[in-house]
Amino acid sequence: MSGTITLESVTKHFPGGVVAVDDLSLEVEPGEFLVLVGPSGCGKTTALRMVAGLEEVTSGQIRINDRVVTRLPPRDRDIAMVFQNYALYAHMTVRNNMAFGLKMARMPRAEIRRRVDEAAAMLGLSDLLNRKPRQLSGGQRQRVAMGRAIVREPAAFLMAEPLSNLDAKLRVEMRGEIIRVQRRIAAPTLYVTHDQTEAMTMGDRVAILSDGVLQQLGTPEEVYDRPVNAFVAAFIGSPSMNLIHATLERGGDGLAVAFAGARIPLPADAASTRPGLAERAGGPVRVGLRPEDFGRPGGAPIDVDVTRLESLGSELVAYLTPAGATDGPLLTARLDRGEKLVQGETARVTVDATRLYFFDAVTGDAV
Amino acid sequence: MITSPGMRLLKLIAIVLIVIWSIGPIVLGITTSISTQREVNSIPTHWVPHSPTLQAYRALLNGSTGQTSGGTVVQGGDFVHAMTNSAVIALGAAALTLIVSTMAAYALGRLRFRMSGGVLALLIGTLVIPIFVVVIGLFQVMANSHLIDTKRGLVLVFVATQSPLATWLLYTQVREMPHEPEEAALIDGCRRWQAFVRVVVPQMSSGIAAVAAIIVLSVWGEFLIPLLLTTTMNAKPVTVLITEYVGKYTTNYPILAAAGVLALIPPAILALVLNKRITGMLAGSS
Repeated sequence: MSGTITLESVTKHFPGGVVAVDDLSLEVEPGEFLVLVGPSGCGKTTALRMVAGLEEVTSGQIRINDRVVTRLPPRDRDIAMVFQNYALYAHMTVRNNMAFGLKMARMPRAEIRRRVDEAAAMLGLSDLLNRKPRQLSGGQRQRVAMGRAIVREPAAFLMAEPLSNLDAKLRVEMRGEIIRVQRRIAAPTLYVTHDQTEAMTMGDRVAILSDGVLQQLGTPEEVYDRPVNAFVAAFIGSPSMNLIHATLERGGDGLAVAFAGARIPLPADAASTRPGLAERAGGPVRVGLRPEDFGRPGGAPIDVDVTRLESLGSELVAYLTPAGATDGPLLTARLDRGEKLVQGETARVTVDATRLYFFDAVTGDAV
Repeated sequence: MITSPGMRLLKLIAIVLIVIWSIGPIVLGITTSISTQREVNSIPTHWVPHSPTLQAYRALLNGSTGQTSGGTVVQGGDFVHAMTNSAVIALGAAALTLIVSTMAAYALGRLRFRMSGGVLALLIGTLVIPIFVVVIGLFQVMANSHLIDTKRGLVLVFVATQSPLATWLLYTQVREMPHEPEEAALIDGCRRWQAFVRVVVPQMSSGIAAVAAIIVLSVWGEFLIPLLLTTTMNAKPVTVLITEYVGKYTTNYPILAAAGVLALIPPAILALVLNKRITGMLAGSS
């Protein structure tokens, strides 16, 4: 099974002038797991619902397997969808829930039974086929929803925050399960979530949306290492990247960023690897600093006040402000658990200056 | 909540009064129905019959003459016929009302169309119009349509009077139901009406059952409209027939009471069976 999901300049206007999705173009390739991620209200669910046919498209075109489906009703799109709250048919047994779509397609009974049994075995639901949804746990319900989608053998899979209603531990388990099932059936999958961890761990590629506009589309590594703007940089990664309003100074030792009394000299090749950087010398710039790039051996030292410490056992999350700065930015740092910091005192930490990100102070675009 | 002993006593008295007020007439009806006419008229009153008898029930079910039943003539089979009429009218009205109201509630609650709010307001607005206001016009319409003294005529009138409340109650349920199951059905290959029949209606089943019970109970107890629109046993329900057991000069109270008790049984059973669903629906939790 292979196919594609293509969105071409898809736009959705809601009554009252709200633009939920603005000129969105992307393609889910055969067998690919593409995650649409963004904060609440960014238009990701609306985009998915347009692909499903549950929401009308204002302009643009949607194709599934190169077939234009923009104006087709959901039943004619050859898709299956998994919903956040499972959307199971409460009055039907697990077997009938899974068989419903096949019955609607008037498939022979023996084939329906074969497909349902096969999917149930794949999802560990074989013993639950005669139960009603209310007799199942959250995780089991989610599996039934997956099973209902799988048995259809659709051209494309759509998933709308399917793990949001599960507890943290089960969510991690189900992530692996969904990926395993998707790999096995190899249908293109468009997966919507607001959880960047889910996006990074599950997606072959990740599309980040903000205010209905696609910000960046790339592999998890690309969007993490080379965010196109400050929004993507802050959204991807946990804890979030520190974004600091700083001044780019040119001194005897080359370029350096200065903020709230702290000064970080940049490596000699910084200007050559980022051509836009030199011309900003002497002006404002937004500097991005990932929490894990603190405390690197050989990094540039800065003095900080330790505002708060959180021990996660495996590591230490420290909230720091530049030493002596009353209105300095609050910096988040992920440090080795052996780091000797004391809450309320001043300390010297190092920053890996080769790993700094730079964004335009006004537009937020990456430099 | 902590309450003082005085408050608790007041509450207890209130509860006892309410129970007496609700159960008292039924108990009185039952004791009267198993008494003889002579015992009912005796002074001092016999609250508990000295020699209980089912004579009144036999007279109701098998018929009686004025002589055997103290002035009240009961035609054999009339009472059963009237009970059947009541059942047919109540169940017919409930079935038709539910078909109309479930669809209306779904359309008003789910579909986006102009003036849907206005339609709902208009519908609910009709609830405040007393039936007496339209009774003359209604009679004229029914007479012109040759629906006087027919069960289907009464069914139609009750569908008209019951559907606003039924639609309103079901509308609130539709509004509270999640959209996703029917969207899943649309994706699973259903047209909208198929999703409605196969997924929405089963989801609404508890509300539909509660509304059905409310309609049956309400129509079963209707008196004025059937009194106006029926003339013979062809459509006369039990509520109207019972009044005919009140004689001009004498009334056989045991027969009147027995008729009341028997007429009470079907709605009482329905209310007991669906008690939880009805109270849940009225409390908005269904």
